[in-house]
Amino acid sequence: MAAAARGPPLSFAMMRLSFVLLLLLLLLLVQSGGGQKKKENMLAEKVEQMMEWSSRRSVIRMNGDKFRRFVKAPPRNYSVVVMFTALQPQRQCSVCRQANEEYQVLANSWRYSSAFSNKLFFTVVDYDEGADVFQQLNMNSAPTFMHFPPKGKPRRADTFDLQRIGFASEQLAKWIADRTDVQIRVFRPPNYSGTIALALLVSLVGGLLYLRRNNLEFIYNKTGWAMAALCVVFAMTSGQMWNHIRGPPYAHKNPQNGQVSYIHGSSQAQFVAESHIILLLNAAITMGMVLLNEAATSKGDVGKRRIICLVGLGLVVFFFSFLLSIFRSKYHGYPYSFLIK
Amino acid sequence: MELICLGHFVLSHNPEVWILGELMLNCSWGGVGGDSIHRIHPALECHSLVVSLSSFLLRFNYRSTHHLTSNGFYEFLNWFDERAWYPLGRIVGGTVYPGLMVTAGLIHYVLNLLHMTVHIRDVCVFLAPIFSGLTAISTFLLTRELWNQGAGLLAACFIAIVPGYISRSVAGSFDNEGIAIFALQFTYYLWVKSVKTGSVFWTIGCCLSYFYMVSAWGGYVFIINLIPLHVFVLLLMQRYSRRVYIAYSTFYIVGLVLSMQIPFVGFQPIRTSEHMAAAGVFALLQAYAFLQYLKDRLTKQEFQTLFFLGVSLAAGVVFLTVIYLTYTGKFSLSLMRYLCPPPRYAKIHIPIIASVSEHQPTTWVSFFFDLHILVCTFPAGLWFCIKNINDERVFVALYAISAVYFAGVMVRLMLTLTPVVCMLSAIAFSSVFEHYLGDDQKKDKEGLGPNIKSIVTMLMLMLLMMFAVHCTWVTSNAYSSPSVVLASYNHDGSRNILDDFREAYYWLRQNTDEHARVMSWWDYGYQIAGMANRTTLVDNNTWNNSHIALVGKAMSSNESAAYQIMQSLDVDYVLIIFGGVIGYSGDDINKFLWMVRIAEGEHPKDIRESDYFTPQGEFRVDKAGSPTLLNCLMYKMSYYRFGEMQLDFRTPPGFDRTRNAEIGNKDIKFKHLEEAFTSEHWLVRIYKVKNEGSSRTSSFLRKARS
Repeated sequence: MAAAARGPPLSFAMMRLSFVLLLLLLLLLVQSGGGQKKKENMLAEKVEQMMEWSSRRSVIRMNGDKFRRFVKAPPRNYSVVVMFTALQPQRQCSVCRQANEEYQVLANSWRYSSAFSNKLFFTVVDYDEGADVFQQLNMNSAPTFMHFPPKGKPRRADTFDLQRIGFASEQLAKWIADRTDVQIRVFRPPNYSGTIALALLVSLVGGLLYLRRNNLEFIYNKTGWAMAALCVVFAMTSGQMWNHIRGPPYAHKNPQNGQVSYIHGSSQAQFVAESHIILLLNAAITMGMVLLNEAATSKGDVGKRRIICLVGLGLVVFFFSFLLSIFRSKYHGYPYSFLIK
Repeated sequence: MELICLGHFVLSHNPEVWILGELMLNCSWGGVGGDSIHRIHPALECHSLVVSLSSFLLRFNYRSTHHLTSNGFYEFLNWFDERAWYPLGRIVGGTVYPGLMVTAGLIHYVLNLLHMTVHIRDVCVFLAPIFSGLTAISTFLLTRELWNQGAGLLAACFIAIVPGYISRSVAGSFDNEGIAIFALQFTYYLWVKSVKTGSVFWTIGCCLSYFYMVSAWGGYVFIINLIPLHVFVLLLMQRYSRRVYIAYSTFYIVGLVLSMQIPFVGFQPIRTSEHMAAAGVFALLQAYAFLQYLKDRLTKQEFQTLFFLGVSLAAGVVFLTVIYLTYTGKFSLSLMRYLCPPPRYAKIHIPIIASVSEHQPTTWVSFFFDLHILVCTFPAGLWFCIKNINDERVFVALYAISAVYFAGVMVRLMLTLTPVVCMLSAIAFSSVFEHYLGDDQKKDKEGLGPNIKSIVTMLMLMLLMMFAVHCTWVTSNAYSSPSVVLASYNHDGSRNILDDFREAYYWLRQNTDEHARVMSWWDYGYQIAGMANRTTLVDNNTWNNSHIALVGKAMSSNESAAYQIMQSLDVDYVLIIFGGVIGYSGDDINKFLWMVRIAEGEHPKDIRESDYFTPQGEFRVDKAGSPTLLNCLMYKMSYYRFGEMQLDFRTPPGFDRTRNAEIGNKDIKFKHLEEAFTSEHWLVRIYKVKNEGSSRTSSFLRKARS
């Protein structure tokens, strides 16, 4: 009986305990369910926020806090491409500006493409707004492109190899397609400046012709046409097309002693300044030939003509030997020179 | 020889030019004489002709000429070459310009008819020098039409020795360009002649010459655009005449019909946009002529109304036709291709075009190297031409401006610039000599005096002499080394001939099955086909990018992946060029990145260029190199057994002289390949692919059957 009498309180206590346990468990369940929900909420909120930003601007500007919250912090289901850069004028990073233009083209192509979704965002972190991010990622050069995958940490291939591939939007798009399976067709806004310049030129010429319609003699001016033809020839023979395609620097400044060299040392390349020098030399030689001819054919004072003739000869001989010496300095092993070593 | 005869002919008939010619002879004859020696310099280089002939034997052109002479013309047109591009094969007759082969075959036929039994090989070797002689003659004729006889003679002398043309016309360079420049100059001469005379006779001659040009070289597009441009500019300058009308109308119709007879050209002249300018100018010329006719018959008021109606109607019709044709895809409006500089376009889109060094823009150094003093003086000639303009000088001015633009865009097109530079430069020099050489016609008071005259003459001749010396130097140094035989120089100046290529090709010819298929990079395709007579997968006619990419993929994959590709392509042997032992820099490891790039273009999932670089972005073959590179097929084949080899006491074993590095993977073993042959200096290495499948039938054929 005693046992029986003792029984109920014990069982009651047990019941209470189990009830409490149950309650605790329930509570825990409820709470953890809430956490899940909260996490989902947070993700949805983040995606929504990102979408809102990207609807305003195709490239989202970020500072340190935003970067940590939206790019680094874990609950994410979207890829983020980040350009680390330094666009402030006082940083004097001209590469960053060019890279930024290409990046904008790419981001706009994505933003306005039919495939646009919340799977991929383009962001930018400027050094002057998020220097701490640069330190955190141990980054010491700008611009740098990085991809942050939805899951896990970025790997080696998630950093874009800028040195080797360059930063053309097409290359960036290829790299993104490689990392995220999102295909972006780069759409460059057509460059109207050329068309506008052409239209302006045409209207200018047309206007000029109209204004001088009573006196169109100048069209038959052979000197003008000859000048124009020679300009084309000089531009081509001095390698301006090469400059246009390859884009060499204007001149090279030696970082050690600060000497500026205008002539490239190898025969395979040239500087812009060099091609201008060659252009002038070629023009001078041609002028010399023309003067020689003028001196012999024109009618006038003999003394004057003699001077013209000598000047022409001097131009031809001197500048040709100068040209030859430049050529010799570039083309190693060339044995000949004339007047100037 | 022709040139010398020509020179004497001119000299004996025109005393005024005589003095000038004599002086030219003194200063440049050495050059011209030297030229004939230098054009055949490579042929004489190695004592017997046979050795150096190999430099052209490797050309596909020789193989097809040989086919032409042994099997006849129609057989040649229908020739399907199953030895190239295995397993695809190549239709040769319809994909080549047959002019070169037919010319050589014809000369061979005529000589044999006269019982001069020469081998077709000898005809091929000496074809280019013969045609350069003909080029000199036609340049003389053209310049004579443009200016005068003296300038013509100078121009012929210039083009005889100028390096920009010698590069394509040395003996043994059996190439389309060699004969095409003659056809180009001769067509232009006949065109100028027909514009001057307005006779159908000369125009038909021009058409025939144009037909020859079309059959010889794709550069005929230059003619079919330049001549309409000339006519168009003449119309703008109000220099329309009956002569122009007759010349152009005849030329366009007959030339069009003739050019469509070449199988490779076919219907292109009425379809593609690069021929449309000619058609447009033809229509314009007819309209203009019609209006001129009406003008005589109508009053001014009537004429004006009719004129406006006609012009607006014509413009509308042309506009709608172009839109309709483009829309239905009858012809492509590929104007962009011409306006935007090709290398820039290619660099982004097609790695295989960017990888060829001839498709690069031109620096001023190449201009000067190829043309020397002519490049600085020809603008003066252009100036004189424009100042004393007439119908044919309009032509030469347009020729100069368009050619100089194309030469600036692409090194290769320097060839089309060279003749016009020679002509204009000759005009410049000739007009100077005309005034400073010879006796004073004017009274002594007005003349410049004999002293100044002789100084000017002396210095000008000095410049020309330097030009001749430059040409001789360039020719003997840069353009006359046979490319198959390499030469190296010892400390004492004696010369070693490295004959590894021929050794290897001969080995292939003697020791492999007649139907064996050899895989190599495309650069060596023609060589293998021509010298070893074995089937190749890819060759220098790079018409199928994906096939090349497949070979590139095999070279850049690891051994087992490469083996699968090679099995599917039925490869029996793999041939590579390796320069690490002798320090030859043009070998396959140095070209390797292009293989990777081209393979990546077609198979981006399997091949990635970045895998072949170190994390720092360097391309290294030593221990620090990327593991993908150190285990790819090309690396393994190049350096197999190289790790055991000590070339020098100062360097460790396995030291690559080309890249100055000790190789990173010395323990190379093959599972599916075995070394078959390595040449004396290791320059060529050939591997045999082990055949593990029981049947010899190719998986390709099996696939095709199923």
